[in-house]
Amino acid sequence: MASQTQEFFVDMTCEGCSGAVTRILEKQKANGVNSFQIDLPNKKVFIDSSLPVEDLLATLQKSKKEVKYIGPKA
Amino acid sequence: RKELDIAIGGMTCASCVNSIEGGMKKVEGIYNASVTLTTGRGRFVFNPKLITPEKIAEEVEDMGFDASVIG
Ligand SMILES: [Cu+2]
Ligand SMILES: [Cu+2]
Repeated sequence: MASQTQEFFVDMTCEGCSGAVTRILEKQKANGVNSFQIDLPNKKVFIDSSLPVEDLLATLQKSKKEVKYIGPKA
Repeated sequence: RKELDIAIGGMTCASCVNSIEGGMKKVEGIYNASVTLTTGRGRFVFNPKLITPEKIAEEVEDMGFDASVIG
């Protein structure tokens, strides 16, 4: 499957939260996450990966924060 | 019931503390979690029949924080 950037909402409130999400995603770089970007003020996470969205959601949910899939990045 | 202290790194504010406490209280086998930002420590009350100290530290790490068991 081709790599695609997916947009997620993750309920992050501070740099500790975005740092936590960063650490979680860094660990997944060996497992199919190519790159990611975090927009803390807008509580958005963009992940470039060929993994299914459900897998990416499961990864983000490890943070135990509220997570929602928004859609492929236009 | 047993108690466990874990050193937690990467927290910056009260909302980090709340998210760890809230998240960890949902983990099976953990009765209570209280985290202190200033000392960078968390105390967990747990059922050793359901969860091990190593697994508790792993849960904290999975949430994206550094964790090491103190005892
Ligand atoms: Cu935070
Ligand atoms: Cu914080």
